[in-house]
Amino acid sequence: MTNVADIRQAMTSGIPELRPDDVKDAVRMAGVTKRFGQVTALDDVTVDFTPGEINVLLGLSGSGKSTLLRHINGLHQPTEGEVFTLGVPVHSARQKDLRVLRSRVGMIFQHFHLVGSMSVLENVCTGRLGGLRGPRIGLFSYPRAVKERAMEHLARVGLADKAFQRADTLSGGQQQRVAIARALIQEPVVLLADEPVASLDPVSSAGVMELLREISSDLGLTVICSLHQVELAMDFGDRITGLQSGRVVLDRATSRLSREDVFEIYTAVSAPEAVEAGAAKV
Amino acid sequence: MTTIVPVETSSGERPGLPVPRRPAPKFRVVAVWGVMLALLAGGVWSFVELEIGISALVTGFENAASFISRMFPLDFPPAAELVALTLETLAIVTVATALAVVLSLPVALFAASNTTRNRWTGGAARTFIVLMRAIPDLVLAIIFFRLFGLGAVPGILAMGLHSIGMIGKLYADAIEELDRGPVEALRAAGASRWQQIWSGIIPPLMPQIIATALHRFDINLRTSVILGYVGVGGIGLAMSEALNTMNYQRGMALALVVLVLCVVVELISGAIRTALLGRVNGRRRGILGLLDRMSDGWVTKPTATHEVQRDGKGRIRTAPPWDADRIRRFLGITVTLLIVAIAVAGSDIDPAALVTGLVDIPQTLAMFFPPSDGDMLDLLLEGMLSTVQIGLAATLVGVVLALPIGSLAARNVAPNAATANVFRTLIVAVRAFPELILAIIFIVMMGLGAVPGALALGIGSVGLLGKLVADSLEETDVRVQDAVRAGGATRLQVYASATLRQVLPAFVAHVLYQLDVNVRAATLLGIVGAGGIGFYLLQANRVMQFDVVTFIILMILTVVLVLEAIAAWVRRVVI
Repeated sequence: MTNVADIRQAMTSGIPELRPDDVKDAVRMAGVTKRFGQVTALDDVTVDFTPGEINVLLGLSGSGKSTLLRHINGLHQPTEGEVFTLGVPVHSARQKDLRVLRSRVGMIFQHFHLVGSMSVLENVCTGRLGGLRGPRIGLFSYPRAVKERAMEHLARVGLADKAFQRADTLSGGQQQRVAIARALIQEPVVLLADEPVASLDPVSSAGVMELLREISSDLGLTVICSLHQVELAMDFGDRITGLQSGRVVLDRATSRLSREDVFEIYTAVSAPEAVEAGAAKV
Repeated sequence: MTTIVPVETSSGERPGLPVPRRPAPKFRVVAVWGVMLALLAGGVWSFVELEIGISALVTGFENAASFISRMFPLDFPPAAELVALTLETLAIVTVATALAVVLSLPVALFAASNTTRNRWTGGAARTFIVLMRAIPDLVLAIIFFRLFGLGAVPGILAMGLHSIGMIGKLYADAIEELDRGPVEALRAAGASRWQQIWSGIIPPLMPQIIATALHRFDINLRTSVILGYVGVGGIGLAMSEALNTMNYQRGMALALVVLVLCVVVELISGAIRTALLGRVNGRRRGILGLLDRMSDGWVTKPTATHEVQRDGKGRIRTAPPWDADRIRRFLGITVTLLIVAIAVAGSDIDPAALVTGLVDIPQTLAMFFPPSDGDMLDLLLEGMLSTVQIGLAATLVGVVLALPIGSLAARNVAPNAATANVFRTLIVAVRAFPELILAIIFIVMMGLGAVPGALALGIGSVGLLGKLVADSLEETDVRVQDAVRAGGATRLQVYASATLRQVLPAFVAHVLYQLDVNVRAATLLGIVGAGGIGFYLLQANRVMQFDVVTFIILMILTVVLVLEAIAAWVRRVVI
């Protein structure tokens, strides 16, 4: 079982020794409820995510996917319930321990969240801040070893030639690849992806999803990815967890799913009025 | 053939159509209009009370001839002395602005809602910013001269601290408007608070940091001239000495130098700001584009490969190539640091005096407390009233001048592009003219008193208010104007019903802002003899009645904060 001390030791000893195989439970959520004022974003969610698999969170916008993801690395704290990520009790961890945990949990976002005015290479280096002491600004402020690793990860996502460009000069698909490189330099054990292709064109989307799958199988990463298209989820995920209005309404491996089940999933994750609206559009 | 006749619009009511009763207007809106009308009445009253009239102007223009004869020939100091004075002024202003930026950043980070620690730190930082803005730099200079003695330190500290009022607010607002995504991503990667700020906030904020600093540099350059009257070195000091001894030939020569300096600095900083904020990504044109193309030959150009690049020793290449972008960035940073370093070295900062001054703070402050009216409460109140009157009258003059000028400078209102350009240029020209120089010219022409001060501020208002009016007119929704025009309205009708109506809330806010600016300026112009409380402030300082100085400062603070509160409230209601 992984614990904070192991991770911290791994982080401080330069290149982390920790392998994903050590992890028995990637993420375990028990009875998690999250309220923002009057709104209940998550309602008694209990779910475990298997290590080394691609887990898809499926649901409409507002169904609680993003909120659930943000509980895994402690960006949100549950109102009730418990969250264990890599064995760390996220719901009760101190800020310091959370930082150590986050440094091993990669996250990518719908809108990439790169610093547009920074070079691509420096953006990737920022992924390593959790293992560095003190603030950094400018490429020169990062250790050479970090920059070299950043370069290697950029080459892995096929963007080594763009390393010294400003991040905002890249296309959406390229920016998401940079964001993936930024997550990879963390040597993550778990990778969270919040609607990674929702603002990309179909060709870039396919490229990004393929890259995620490749990385996941190469590194044995646990990927937890939120999506809203059923077909994409079926193609990409090993397992689908459906969310509707903050409640888990479905949890199955995709290998046991047939095309006939697709409609069932549609109905499961959609609010009734949304189905009608969708039908009207078609 | 049919003749087209406009629809009859006589006021006769048509029977049968039930007209719903107009709902009663909201109390707050009525209150705002009441305040605005009261201010208008106050402006007119001040205008009359100060006896700004045709006769004053006529006398002024009669004096103009003799003024010009007293002014010429202009007597410039020797070139070496002039250069030394200019450099001294520039050094003090540079260090003050640099200090202001360095202090403003942490204050802004605490003031911005998304980077502050909690509600209390946020509130404290915002209050500090408002307070720094409310205390005029002149007042700070007086206090700091008492603390640190003569030299550059008091001027630098005064301008540096007062500038936080503007720079800190602009930075804090800019931080709140930043995309919060990158910071969340850094947080998710385990970055600490400071790491998040340095990597996720500062880089995207950089253009704003530089542009605001340059803008403030312009303002501080003008202020430093006024501060010359209380002893801050440089051109302002030399000018005040000349004018105080009625040496108009030398004084006006130096005023001309100040004018040229202000215009040159404004042009340079304007060009840098435009280049910074309006930069588009991708291919560059002009000199930079040329550099880009030239550098292709002799620096490592990025080759289109997805492989990691290695240098001669087989190490991974992690430094960007020396292309035009990197050269420009490198030069920019180096030159800025160099200029600030030279300015610090050249501005005659005495560290010993700084330390002694800091040690003596309790003793010095004891001289300023408790505040006392020095048995001349009547005089002081009269002076304060006069200052407010100058501010009101100046704003009235400003509004009357700036409305037509600003309207004609707006491209969507002016009859043609040429007119718009002419009036835009006029506004820029007025803006370049320091109000202090205007005031001095008017004082020399009309003698000491409130009238030249009010006129100088009134004309100076065209620069700011005219620009704000023109800008907000250009931001209006053109479709509404098209719709009204399609209904057959004349040009003036379109302006009144469609254009003006849209910008009315913005106008109200701008006028109040201008009033706020003018009242602050009026307190300062008193120093050069333009009437009002500033005169008493300077007097009390000269005869070392520091308890009276404190009293006057509190009076000014009260008025400024009340005005600010009114302006903030009106803005909330109308916008």
